[in-house]
Amino acid sequence: MQFDGDVLTIGLDMSMEEIREFEQFVRPRLEYIEMIETEEGTVLRSSSLLSLLVSLKRSRPELKIPFLEQGVTASSVYGTLHWMCHD
Amino acid sequence: MTKQEQVKAIFIEEAGEIIEKLDVDIVRFEENSNDFDLLNEIFRGVHTLKGNANAFGFIRLGEFVHHFEDVLDHYRSTKEEIEPYQLELFVDSVDIIKEVMTCELEALPNLPERYPECLGKIKHLIASKKNAPLSVVSERDSEPLFDLASEFGFSCCEQIDAGVANSIRSHQAMQEEGLNLFRIDMTLDDDCYKRGFDHLIFLKLLAEKAKAIESFFDMEEVEALDRFAGDENTIKRVIVIVLTEQTPDEVAENFEFLFDHEVATALIDPDRVPSVEEKLPVVAEKVMGKVPSDTVTASATVPKSTIRIDTFKLDELFDSVGELVIAQNFIAQNGKIRSIEDESISRAIETLSKITKRIQDRVMSLRMVAIRDTFDKMKRVVRDTSKKTGKELHLIVQGEETEIDKTMVDSLSDPLIHIIRNAIDHGLESDGTERLSVGKKVEGTITLRAFHKSGSIVISVSDDGRGINKEKVLKKAIERGVVSGDESLTDTQIFGLIMQPGFSTADTVSDLSGRGVGLDVVKTSIEKLRGKIEIDSKEGEGTTFSMVLPLTLAIIDGMLVQAAGEIYIIPTLSVVESFRPEKEIVHVLKGQGEFVSLRGQHIPVIRLSDVFDLSTERIEPWEGILVCVETDAGRIAIMVDELIGRQQVVIKTLGKSLSRLKEITGGAILGNGDIALILNVDELRPLIEVAHGGN
Repeated sequence: MQFDGDVLTIGLDMSMEEIREFEQFVRPRLEYIEMIETEEGTVLRSSSLLSLLVSLKRSRPELKIPFLEQGVTASSVYGTLHWMCHD
Repeated sequence: MTKQEQVKAIFIEEAGEIIEKLDVDIVRFEENSNDFDLLNEIFRGVHTLKGNANAFGFIRLGEFVHHFEDVLDHYRSTKEEIEPYQLELFVDSVDIIKEVMTCELEALPNLPERYPECLGKIKHLIASKKNAPLSVVSERDSEPLFDLASEFGFSCCEQIDAGVANSIRSHQAMQEEGLNLFRIDMTLDDDCYKRGFDHLIFLKLLAEKAKAIESFFDMEEVEALDRFAGDENTIKRVIVIVLTEQTPDEVAENFEFLFDHEVATALIDPDRVPSVEEKLPVVAEKVMGKVPSDTVTASATVPKSTIRIDTFKLDELFDSVGELVIAQNFIAQNGKIRSIEDESISRAIETLSKITKRIQDRVMSLRMVAIRDTFDKMKRVVRDTSKKTGKELHLIVQGEETEIDKTMVDSLSDPLIHIIRNAIDHGLESDGTERLSVGKKVEGTITLRAFHKSGSIVISVSDDGRGINKEKVLKKAIERGVVSGDESLTDTQIFGLIMQPGFSTADTVSDLSGRGVGLDVVKTSIEKLRGKIEIDSKEGEGTTFSMVLPLTLAIIDGMLVQAAGEIYIIPTLSVVESFRPEKEIVHVLKGQGEFVSLRGQHIPVIRLSDVFDLSTERIEPWEGILVCVETDAGRIAIMVDELIGRQQVVIKTLGKSLSRLKEITGGAILGNGDIALILNVDELRPLIEVAHGGN
C-alpha cells in the first residue's frame, strides 16, 4: 500500500488481516484521498476487499476507484467477476 | 407458487383447521352447553376466522362470522342459559360457515340457500338480546379489497438478472458433450469470514475444474463506512454460472462445509434458452436437480407434492438418526476395523460417513422452518388493519430468516395477529394529528422482529405509539375486581393485567380488537409452548410485546468448548470473541474475583469448573482461553481449556435432575456420540458473583 499525495495505491491480493489494516488506515483519511488505484498484476483475493471498496465509494461518491468503477474483472483464478452496486 | 399464493395457502390451511375444530367443538358444546370454557374456545376460533377472512377479502364469510361472533360473545360474557333452539342455530351456523368457505374458495357467485335465513336468525337473536333495532347490528364496514401482490413481490435486481440470463446463454453456446452448466446462488451468512469462508475461495475451487465461469456480486446491501463492519459479510448474494466437467455431486462437495441455506445449486438444461426478462430469485434451499434453464424459478412455481407428517414421527426419526450417527462413528473410530488394511472397507466407511451426515442434516432440517412465511402473513394483517383503522403506518420486519420449530410456527400465527392488531388499534395514537401534537411523525411504526437470545427465540412486536396507560389499566382492573386497589403493583404486574381473560381498556369494540380476547389468546397460546410474554412499555414512547419461546427441539449454532474435561456448547449468537489474554490484562479484585481488561472494559472471568463445581487443576486465565459472551447483564468472559469448533446441534431436554440447573438450557448429542451441555450464559454471571463474593 502506497500513499502518494492524493493517490492511494493498493494491491488487490490483500489477506483479511491486510484488508482490516487498510480499513483502519483509510477510515480517518477518507476525506483527503482523491483516488484509490490498484497495483497492476494483482488479483482480488477476498470479497471483503470488494465490499470495503464499495463502502468507501458509498461514503464518499467523489472518490475515484477505477477498479471498482469498471464493474468487472477477469482472471484465470476466478474467471469473470461482475459486481452491481445499484447506485 | 407466488408469495401471495403462499400466504393465501397458509390462510386457507389455517381456516380449514379452525372450521374443522369448530365442527367438533360445537357438537361437544351442544352436549354440554354449560361448558363456557369450550364456548370461549369456539369464540376465539370464530374471532380468528373473522379476522383472517376479512384480511383475505372473503367478505361474505367475514360478514356471517362477524354476526355469529356477536352472538357467541353475548353468551360467553353473560353466561346466560342457551335454549336448545339456539344451540341448533349454532350448529347450523357452523355448517353455513363451512359452505360459505367453499363458495369463497371456489369463487362461486351464489351463497348457500340457507345463508340468508340463518344470518337473519342470528341477527334477530342478537338484536333481541341487546334489545336494539336490527339496523344497529347490521351496520358493517364495507371494506374494499386491496391488491397486495406488490407487498409480497421480490425486489428486482434487473441488472443482475439480465447479466445472469446472458451468461447462461453464452455458456450454453460453449456447452459440449460431457460438460454441465450450473447456476449457483451463494448467500453466505454475515459471519462467513470469521468461519474462514470467502466467496472467492469457492470461485477458485470451481474455476479449477471449469471450462468457463462467470459470477455476479450483488453489492446493494453494502453500507457506507459509518455502518460498515469489515469482518462481516454484507454481500448478500453471489450468482455463479459455471460450465464444468464436474457432476452435481462433485460441485456440491465444494460447498460441503457451508450451511444448506447458504448455497443453492441448479443444473441447467442445455436445450433451453432463458430470456432477459426472467427473474431468477434467490432460492433459499439447496436445489440439486436438472431444471430447465429458462425456468430456474420453476422450483418455486411447480406445485410441490407435500404430505403432512405427525411431528411425533419426526421426533422418533430424530432420535433414530442420532443413534445412527453414534453407530456410524463407532464403526469409523473402532480400532479393530481401522486396522484392517483394505481400501474397499475404508471407502465403504467413508461413504457411510458422508451418507450419514447427509441424512442427519436433512432430518434435522425437517422440523425447522424460517419464520418468513408467518411474517409475510402478518404484513397482510398489518396492511389491512392499517386501512381499517385509517392509521398510516410503516412496518419494519427483522429476522425473517430465524428458524423456528414448525410446531411453534403453527401456534404463533394467532398470537401474532392479535398482538399486531392490538398494537395498531390501541397502541398507536388515534390519528396523525395526535401523533404530531406529541412531536411524532404522522406515520406510526410497527416493528416485527425474530431473533435468538441466550438460547431462546424471541418474537417481538413493537409500536411507537402512546404506550400503556398504567392508571387506566389499574382503574379497569379495580372496576372488574381483578385487583382490590390496595396492593402496590409493579409496572410489570400492571402490564400483566392486560393479559387477563376478557380484560380490555378499549372504549369501543371493533371487529379488530377490543373484546379483551386477543391478549388472553396470546397468553394461553404462548404458555402452551412453555414460553412467556414480556411487556415493555413507556408512556408516550410505545410498547413492545415479546414472546420468549424455548428452543426445545430447535437447532442452534454453537461453539463447542472444553473445560475441566467436559464439553460445553456456547450459543454462537452470544459469542463476541475468543482470545488468550496477556497476563498484564488479567486482574484479581478482592472479593470480586477475576477480571480481564479488554479495550477499556473490565469483564468478569467465569470459570466453568467453579460454576459446575468440577475438580480440576487450577490454571491461570492467561494459560487458558477466554470466550467473551454477551449476556442480559453485560459481557462476561468464560474461561475454557480449548475451543473445539462450531457446530449446529439439536437441543435435547435434560432429565429432571439436570433441568434444575439454570446455567444449562439443554444438552446435545455430538457426532461422536458424546453429550455436551448447552450453557445458558445469562445465568452464569449471578452465580459467579455469589462465588466470588464468598472468596
